[in-house]
Amino acid sequence: MPAQPAQDPITSKSLSFHLLLWSFLLIVSLAWALYDEMYGLRPWRSYQKRFIEAYSSYLQREIPKQQQAEQSIRNSPEYQKLEAQWKAAEAAVAPRLSEIDTEIARINRRLGVLTPVFQEARGRVAALVYQLEIASADDRQSRLREVEQAKQQTYSLSLPGLHGDGTEQAQLSYTDLEREFNRLKDRKAALVAERAAVLAEADALRRQLESYFSEKLAGLTGQQLQGLLRAVNNLDVRIRQIHNESAGLVDRCQSCHIGMDLALVPPNLTLTKADLNLEGNPDAPFSSHPNIELLRLHDPDRDPAKALERIGCSPCHGGNGRATSSVIKGHGRHKYWLWPLYYRENFEAGCQMCHAQDMVLDYAPVLNRGKELYRERGCVGCHRFEGFDNEAEQLLSARQRIRQLEQQKREYEQEIARLQRRADDPATPLEVARQLNERAASLPVVMSQLDAEIEQLQQRTVSLMREEKKVGPSLKEVRVKLKKEWIPYWLANTHEFRPDTKMPQFRLEESEIQAISAFIWQMGLPGPLEKQPRGDPARGKRLFETRGCLGCHSIGEGANKIGGDFAANLSRVGEKANYDYLVRWIYNPRQRTRPYDPIAKKDLGPEDYARHGKPFVFDLKNSRSPDGKHELVVMLPTVMPSLRLTWQEARDIASYLITLRRSDANYPPAPYIDDPNLRERGRELVKFYGCAGCHEIATLEEEGRIGTELTNEGSKPVDRLDFALLTHNAKRGILPDGSPSPRGKWYDHKGFFEQKLANPAIFDQGKYKPDPRDRLRMPKPNLTPADINALTTFLLGSVDPQVPNDMLYRPEGARKDIQDGWWIITKYNCMGCHQIRVGQRSALQDLPQYQGPNADKLPPPLFGAGARLNPRWLARFLENPALSETDIHRNGVRNYLDIRMPTFYLSDNEIRKLVRFFEALSAQERPFIPPVIQPLTEAERTMARDLFTHPAAPCLRCHATGDPAHDRNATAPNFLLAGERLRPPWTQRWLLDPARMIPGTAMPSGLFRREGDRWVFAGPLPASLRNYRGDHAELLVRYMFLMTPAEQRLLISRSPRATGASTGGSE
Amino acid sequence: MWGDWYQLWEIVSAPDNVPIVALLFLVPFYTWYAFRQAFETDRLIEQLEKDPQLAKTHHRKVHPWQPGWPREVHTWPYLMRVEFLAAIIVTVILTVWSITLNAPLEEPANPNLTMNPAKAPWYFLGLQEMLVYFDPWIAGVVMPTLIIIGLMVIPYIDENPLGNGYYTYKQRRFAIWTFLVGFIGLWVIMIVIGTFIRGPGWMWFWPTQTWDHNRLVFEVNRNLHEWWIFKYIVPQNIWAWTVFGAIVVGLYFAGAAYLIHRICMATEFSRKIYRRMSLLQIVTMQILLILMLALPIKMLLRLVFRIKYVWVTPWFNV
Repeated sequence: MPAQPAQDPITSKSLSFHLLLWSFLLIVSLAWALYDEMYGLRPWRSYQKRFIEAYSSYLQREIPKQQQAEQSIRNSPEYQKLEAQWKAAEAAVAPRLSEIDTEIARINRRLGVLTPVFQEARGRVAALVYQLEIASADDRQSRLREVEQAKQQTYSLSLPGLHGDGTEQAQLSYTDLEREFNRLKDRKAALVAERAAVLAEADALRRQLESYFSEKLAGLTGQQLQGLLRAVNNLDVRIRQIHNESAGLVDRCQSCHIGMDLALVPPNLTLTKADLNLEGNPDAPFSSHPNIELLRLHDPDRDPAKALERIGCSPCHGGNGRATSSVIKGHGRHKYWLWPLYYRENFEAGCQMCHAQDMVLDYAPVLNRGKELYRERGCVGCHRFEGFDNEAEQLLSARQRIRQLEQQKREYEQEIARLQRRADDPATPLEVARQLNERAASLPVVMSQLDAEIEQLQQRTVSLMREEKKVGPSLKEVRVKLKKEWIPYWLANTHEFRPDTKMPQFRLEESEIQAISAFIWQMGLPGPLEKQPRGDPARGKRLFETRGCLGCHSIGEGANKIGGDFAANLSRVGEKANYDYLVRWIYNPRQRTRPYDPIAKKDLGPEDYARHGKPFVFDLKNSRSPDGKHELVVMLPTVMPSLRLTWQEARDIASYLITLRRSDANYPPAPYIDDPNLRERGRELVKFYGCAGCHEIATLEEEGRIGTELTNEGSKPVDRLDFALLTHNAKRGILPDGSPSPRGKWYDHKGFFEQKLANPAIFDQGKYKPDPRDRLRMPKPNLTPADINALTTFLLGSVDPQVPNDMLYRPEGARKDIQDGWWIITKYNCMGCHQIRVGQRSALQDLPQYQGPNADKLPPPLFGAGARLNPRWLARFLENPALSETDIHRNGVRNYLDIRMPTFYLSDNEIRKLVRFFEALSAQERPFIPPVIQPLTEAERTMARDLFTHPAAPCLRCHATGDPAHDRNATAPNFLLAGERLRPPWTQRWLLDPARMIPGTAMPSGLFRREGDRWVFAGPLPASLRNYRGDHAELLVRYMFLMTPAEQRLLISRSPRATGASTGGSE
Repeated sequence: MWGDWYQLWEIVSAPDNVPIVALLFLVPFYTWYAFRQAFETDRLIEQLEKDPQLAKTHHRKVHPWQPGWPREVHTWPYLMRVEFLAAIIVTVILTVWSITLNAPLEEPANPNLTMNPAKAPWYFLGLQEMLVYFDPWIAGVVMPTLIIIGLMVIPYIDENPLGNGYYTYKQRRFAIWTFLVGFIGLWVIMIVIGTFIRGPGWMWFWPTQTWDHNRLVFEVNRNLHEWWIFKYIVPQNIWAWTVFGAIVVGLYFAGAAYLIHRICMATEFSRKIYRRMSLLQIVTMQILLILMLALPIKMLLRLVFRIKYVWVTPWFNV
């Protein structure tokens, strides 16, 4: 017997175990696939289910509370009273109502029987009439007979009686039926109208009751909440999407953020995590939109739901609106989505895409701050940004256009000559010659139109030359302004010297500092500068603190700092500045040592004027070049205005400022600064580092910007942001200092901007750059973390628009005026002294000297200024706030204030924009047509005088009169100004309730009370007014607008003397 | 930067690269598995050659043969059940794979922005890699065409009837080695290089070297006539280059043809097959194999000796 053969490996083995195992695994994987299909790929399902649970339990908690609130309103005496009134009114009309209702019911019954019979008859007649109309002439007679017969045919009906008394049998023909039918219908219509009339009063009361109820009840009624609860419990779990086809927008965000669905959570119900008992849960996207007002703003009808439908979520917030498979994908926070969801601290970046042209936006303080910083800190000096400080570009294009037009004029001249030659040619036919002559005669007219355009453009260039400002001071003045040892120290220790300066800290080698200082110093103008006697520092300090310097400037170091941070901190100004220059600067900051000729590209001196036999005089009135051909730059490019101080005041303030220094201030001598060999190297460096972006520097006036344009920086592909050797750490979430980044990977725009702004040199880390010129040039800006966040927000939002152009905010008319105005308001820091936006605080408001009752010494808030002021007057005032050519050391309107409205030397263009801005803010029509003031009769004048001098309304106690003795205690403007300064409708509203327009004003409210359709003086009526039937407020306004100096003198003599009411500061 | 394991992990874990990581293991495994089968059959052939009695009967190709085993095994159930099991396993793997790894959908295409490295789909990485060694018209047009034509003519060149329906090494040695060199040696290796080795700028990064976008390398590639002693021999003249290149390429063709011929003549078995082939078949085979062999040689010249072109002419460069 052979050895037992080994088993056949194929036939003897069983695969059942493997088959069983893998079949099992197959089923498991199928189950997994199904689960993944249902939930894994659709996480929004679980979110919606969780929302249903949380929201319905919230509603269930809320309903009883709300019902209780409703009950308490119903139990309130007012409600009960209203309800009783309503019930009484209903009861009073109840008998008549029931009569009407009975009659209507009877008519309805009768109609019910009549109508079908009538309709049948009408159908028959109509069909026969049609046959008649189409019948041939032969048939016509017989057809007519048929119609007549049909009309005569009678119908037998049993009609219910109209008095409730059984039925009546009737035989009615078609004509009778029709008459009866129309009669019943008319009667019914009359009854219904009567019913409404009878009920009118009760209905009005019911509506009153309802509106009382809804006013008292905060939020939704219990019934409405019940409805929501039903809707939530029956909620269909599905993808919720916003689809705006024209914008190519598909946002499914609400699939998880279901609380944003305004049908489920109405706008007047705010849902927070706390409401849903989900506080602290990071994975509960159920809150409602935290700022419904923002949504309302974005819809012409102020309907938040429509705004959402149109704009969706992702255009503002970023993220991938289409993605629904995971949170990361939906938020677009992965490397393949170019528009990730903005982080919470940057979400205002979303506004910028559409509102790139707005300087100031409501509800976007961070973005506003970013834009402000971008301009104020001089980012714009190196980095072009569409819309920011483009006067130089506009100037260039205006001059270019002028050249084009002049060229065109020359061409026309040649054309005229050519036409005339051809016309004079004997070979030209007469008719053609006539046409040629006509054309030659018309061209001069066209040319004169071109002249008009050229003239406007020249005006525009003058305006633009005035508007062009630099962030930093002009360096042409350094020789007369600064101590020379201070310059190299400042370049090396910018932020140590002045921790809050706008000037960034450059990375400079010692030799570079020397060369730059030498160049700047040697290019400075030598003078002349008048010697000034010393003033009184104590008086200077008082003036500095009261004239309004602190609206822009701050003073004091560290925690002692007070004042605005728009302009420099002056705490150590005494260490660097020259006294004589300070006096000149304070007296008129725009005063140049020499005017600059933009055509010859040089600073003109007395010698240039002498060549043309002219005195060396240049100011806004003498701004032509000595040869009279073009405009010169006669002002320094600073935004600092003139406070119209006297020379003595300027000396006092300068004497005070020069004392502001540290006692140990001492700078090493800088002999190299006069070394002419360093100059050329210095010029190259100054050019290289782009100093001319922020400073006016001799020979570099026309330098362009050296940095990259940032208009669309937010949509630059991230690969093109130079992370250099930090790329890998950024991708792995390691910060430059080696610590882990709190938000993980920072290889994105946000990370780049934040690191770059915190330390621009960071991306040189690890690079081998022995030549300092190879290093990144960007200097270190002086920014707090909040500032960095604001600028990052601004840059993140600066993207190529993803939405169609018609969704961008490019307004026209009044809205455009508002948009334009803000650029000027922020340019000159008007909000340092004035309140312009409701809720905004000026820098002055927070100063200790303006607290409590001293708040009256503040400049007026400008809420509603456009409605208040006559635009022509406003333009004049903005041009010259002294309102006088000779008496300039004062305020034109509020002479009683120490603080002074400065002269900004605004260009015509800026004045026009500002006036329009204020008008647009107050929704005023343009142009302003002053209403006609009805002259006063003698009787009216007497009455008005009585009111004016009434002890209960002593107007002249506070209002100035121009009499120095009287005005010592005045706290309100002179009435003589009212006529040309104010608008009558506003003045009347102001008299009635001033506190509502400007909260905290000293002007008393409640001077008048409503009586019928007129306003009547609220105090005891003077005898003369007892029989006056007109409106007292209107009378006073007319009187005020017709005020004359003689009239005012008369009033003063009659009124109690001003007794120094300490509360003032009003209109 | 060496020892950057995170970088390696990033490459290996990318969902795109899953097939290639799998390929790294599956290709060697199945090659080994096929060879095991082939050697087993070869041993059976030996056994049958010694035992004509056994060889006369039909039977399964299984070694070592045990008496008493069924001479034939039915397709049902013995084959079908294994295939069924395999189908289940593949279904499970595909299901799990598709659940766990989603196809990466990248950003909207931007014609102004080329990604770096810009890589072809994994199955075309071999072609993309060839672009490093040849001009685009060769790597992108001529070579792929030749590959397709070559694959199409195989049945017309290879008339060896043996090896149908069973694994064998002995009877198909030449075919197997051609396949191993052409597919695994060239195609698969180039895919692996394209996936794991080529980083930003299509530069050569060894595994665990950081893919640094800022990396700079200094490499000068010369043409053959400028290299080594040739630069002293070949005149600086385009026509001289043309002639020189033609000679070198001609020499290569002759040498490679001779080498292939020697391989064909190596054993009695292959001589027998060779004698059966027509002249057209032999020439076609020779040309295809010579061109195939040219690829690794050019790669070597380029990677090791930094040779750019072997043959420079006014019309084309190779």
